[in-house]
Amino acid sequence: MAIAQPQSQPHDTREKSTPSKPGPSKQPINIRAIVLWVAVVLTVVFCLAPVFWQLLTSFKTNDAIASVPTVYFPSPDQLTLSHYTELFARRPFLFYILNSTFVAIVSTLLCLALGAPAAYALARLPIKGGGILLLVVLFVTLFPYVLLFLGLLEVVRAVGLANNYLALIVPYTAINLPLTILVMRSFFQQLPKDLEDSAKMDGYNTLQMLWYVLLPMTLPALVTTGILAFIFSWNEFIFALTFITRDVMRTIPVGTAQLGSASVFEIPYGPYAAATVVGTLPLVALVLIFQRRIVQGLTAGAVKG
Amino acid sequence: MKHDPDPADANSFQSFVRRANQIRLRRLKLPYLLGFVAALLLTLVSLSRPALTQEPVNLQIFLRALEATQMAPFAADFNAANPDIHLEMVEAPNTTTLVEDLYTSAFLLGDSPYDLVFMDIVWVPKFAAAGWLLPLGDRITEAKLNDYMDKDVDGGRYNGELYRMPFRSDVGMLYYRTDLLEQGGFAPPDTFEEMVEISQALQGTGDADWGYLWQGLQYEGLSAMFVEILEGFGGYWVNPDTLEVGLDRPEAIAAVEFLRNTIESGISPPGVVTYAEEEARRLFQSGEAIFMRNWPYVYSLAQESGIQGKYAIKPMVHQPNEDSGACQGGWGFGIAKTTPHPDEAWRVIEYFSQPEVQKQFVLETGYVPSRRSLFTDPDIVATYSFMPDLLNIIEQAVLRPPIAQYAQASDILQRYLSAALTGNMSAEAAMNAAARETRRLVETPESAAAQLEVQGAA
Amino acid sequence: MMNLESPRQRERVTGWLLLVPALVLLVAVFAYPIGRAFWLSLFTENLGTQLEPVFSGLANYGRLIGDGRFWQSLWNTTVFTTVCLALELVLGMGIALVLNQAFFGRGAVRTIALLPWALPTAVMALAWRWIFNDQYGVVNDILRRLSLIGTDITWLGDPTRAMMALIVADVWKTTPFIAVILLAGLQSISRDLYEAHSLEGASPLQSFWAITLPLLTPQIMIALLFRFAQSFGIFDLPRVMTGGGPAGATEMVSLYIYDTVMRYLDFGYGSALVVVTFLLLVVVVAIAAIILTRAGIDVAGDNR
Repeated sequence: MAIAQPQSQPHDTREKSTPSKPGPSKQPINIRAIVLWVAVVLTVVFCLAPVFWQLLTSFKTNDAIASVPTVYFPSPDQLTLSHYTELFARRPFLFYILNSTFVAIVSTLLCLALGAPAAYALARLPIKGGGILLLVVLFVTLFPYVLLFLGLLEVVRAVGLANNYLALIVPYTAINLPLTILVMRSFFQQLPKDLEDSAKMDGYNTLQMLWYVLLPMTLPALVTTGILAFIFSWNEFIFALTFITRDVMRTIPVGTAQLGSASVFEIPYGPYAAATVVGTLPLVALVLIFQRRIVQGLTAGAVKG
Repeated sequence: MKHDPDPADANSFQSFVRRANQIRLRRLKLPYLLGFVAALLLTLVSLSRPALTQEPVNLQIFLRALEATQMAPFAADFNAANPDIHLEMVEAPNTTTLVEDLYTSAFLLGDSPYDLVFMDIVWVPKFAAAGWLLPLGDRITEAKLNDYMDKDVDGGRYNGELYRMPFRSDVGMLYYRTDLLEQGGFAPPDTFEEMVEISQALQGTGDADWGYLWQGLQYEGLSAMFVEILEGFGGYWVNPDTLEVGLDRPEAIAAVEFLRNTIESGISPPGVVTYAEEEARRLFQSGEAIFMRNWPYVYSLAQESGIQGKYAIKPMVHQPNEDSGACQGGWGFGIAKTTPHPDEAWRVIEYFSQPEVQKQFVLETGYVPSRRSLFTDPDIVATYSFMPDLLNIIEQAVLRPPIAQYAQASDILQRYLSAALTGNMSAEAAMNAAARETRRLVETPESAAAQLEVQGAA
Repeated sequence: MMNLESPRQRERVTGWLLLVPALVLLVAVFAYPIGRAFWLSLFTENLGTQLEPVFSGLANYGRLIGDGRFWQSLWNTTVFTTVCLALELVLGMGIALVLNQAFFGRGAVRTIALLPWALPTAVMALAWRWIFNDQYGVVNDILRRLSLIGTDITWLGDPTRAMMALIVADVWKTTPFIAVILLAGLQSISRDLYEAHSLEGASPLQSFWAITLPLLTPQIMIALLFRFAQSFGIFDLPRVMTGGGPAGATEMVSLYIYDTVMRYLDFGYGSALVVVTFLLLVVVVAIAAIILTRAGIDVAGDNR
């Protein structure tokens, strides 16, 4: 099934072709190879160094953290797990994790449930003004949602959603919808039209066809957009900061940013680092497992050349 | 793969649908699985929310992690003595403005988790004007309030109503090096001019690197420091009754120029514009400076440094015909209007208001008391000998403008002061701009509309 | 009554049924708050009015014109956005070119390169604050070891350097996004073009200018458009890393709006700030869209 290739273009052959072709003579190939490897190493260092540093910090004792010159690789007596235990003992960090997980999963599922049918309607059904709707959706994709918190604050207060997970789930779902619609729509468009025609001849109505025939075929796309939505919801900060003020209901980014320390002039860098590791671990796992899908989603959402 | 017909070639649609259905059955397990996980999590989260129905009344208060640690033993005592109430302290970050913002979001959103509010003195007007605090006037008599410092009580009032019970006080003052002054044959200065002269003389002989240390960083401490200088020059910031803004008056501009001159003439280090309390304290403790403006907490800390026994405190210097200014700070308790248990909350405040509790707290932490009698309490004086001196200073304290828009007014002042002190703007231009923005802030909509019309006509 | 017998009619109804839930949500979460901001911006609603809305016409906008802090935050945001976009484009292009080559472990490197983008900004902002710490930060330590500095640099305590630190953190975080999009573009360029060009004696650099860059223009434009919108509304990174300081040097428009509403409780004025920022954004996006359309780039992905 090649459906999971939204950006599939006629020239998309480069990825598979063996690359050592170019280079007229042997000498430049070596230089090329060296330059390439230097670039690869730089890329890896650039991307990993801050995360790795945080990981190291999280296992260091306070003395090792605040030592000059900096301790890079702590000796065994400079290792500790106390930052992790402190995180869970002094703050309801387990709740933060559960909250983040719950909010992210529910809003992701809702987003797919609302977005996929809408995308299908825009892709295949005769909707008057569908083109304009699509433009609107695209503009909304670009929208910096920071501008929404003031208005949403009023809504949340009026509806009484303060300190309710729905106050996060609903906005997250809405913010993820435009991208979901754009990506899913391009997937639907690539499905062979014959499929629907024959399904109709077989007496399926549109909804049945969507559920029994089309959605199973677009499962890869659903996973792709779902992961993007999940990552966004897990990371979101401003709504989580504004609409949840009860400590046990906070999500990881806000809970982490508000760790305090028992001394005024000491910033709790150890627990911060431990919180960074715990809070990012699920996302690291997602990226490791679904790297290809994430790339597909990003490019399908953003690039239509 | 051989037996699996390519969908495009499937001539029987039925077979294809069957195949699609198989895919669905196999693949669609993922959403179900996710749904199951979500349901499980929801149950977990809702189950593990503390069920409090039959247990004692739970009261939450939100305070900085440091204070939470210091108050924890007192809270434990209270809980032990009051089995029907459980006072829970939620730790906040240590930055004051961040705590203010978190309280603000909690009240603004509604459904505030906090029953009690531990308040900086400058929050009172804002929180009261926004209607987030319960008036306390009918719970306490004026006679009992008379035991507290006047300014501490006044700082807890808004529009004449009491919203905050003082717990501990704070006040800005002048630290000076007794040994250096004696050595040069100087009496402690009373005026700005005397302080400058002493500084230059002692710096000239090489007895001290720096004359005067203060807080020049752009933060709330800058406003607090400036209020004292402003008072010493006979100026004012915002008149709380008439809402008149005095920042562009000659006295205010002179005050800014004085501070700027201390840097230009080398009396204050150039880095003073990046100093908060701690930077100033460390430099003073290293013995390199003669004078410093700071809060009382420095007094006990400096006893453990190289300048032990070589310094004293006095009220801030001033212009010859003006009064000395000391900025009033301090913390106290308020009750959130939304709390379902105001009476229990008041019992917490009553507990913390007891003289013995406050005395114990002062003894253990070295904070400044709010009760007048504690300044001369023998036990406290035995530990903190400076307390009687402090009483003289604190009686002259000035409040930062008790207006509802204080947070914003202070941010405006800090920004323009910082610009003037770092030399990015002239004192006059900076204060004119600060005054203009502050006026726009405190004016009523009617006067704003009128002003706009005037501008439009011009 | 509608004629539900006609299949096309029925499809139309079904289509709307499928669309409506999503549209309702989008309207509720996007359109209502913005519309509400337009309305509220005509009122003064702050602590001076006991939080009651009082009609004041365009007074909020008059105040905005004379509000030095707003203009400074707008300037900060512009500087931040411009520098970030420029750096991210160059670096992202570099990484995309690297990832487009074949080498052992390419899949793993592609995964690693995506990592920064996926991690929570607010949490990583804490990491960056630690990295740029003046006493114990690893940046100062490396510079010391390289003998590039004698004394510690206060990165987050100096206006210019705090902005630099913020930009570094943002570039780290969002370069992968640009790289991924450019990589997709690179993969769609036919190899034959390069081969033909190199047969004519062109160097790889010449090929880059003559083939890669022109053919990549759509992806570049779209990546920039997306990043512009995100970067213009940046909130969590400066909020956690610098808090907008020192001296307001890293205060972005979004931080100022948040403070105005959540700290000063100045709802009317905050709404005016939202409206102005929104309009600025619409103008920029509209200009970009016109340029894209002129250049024949189909932004909506409409294959019809």
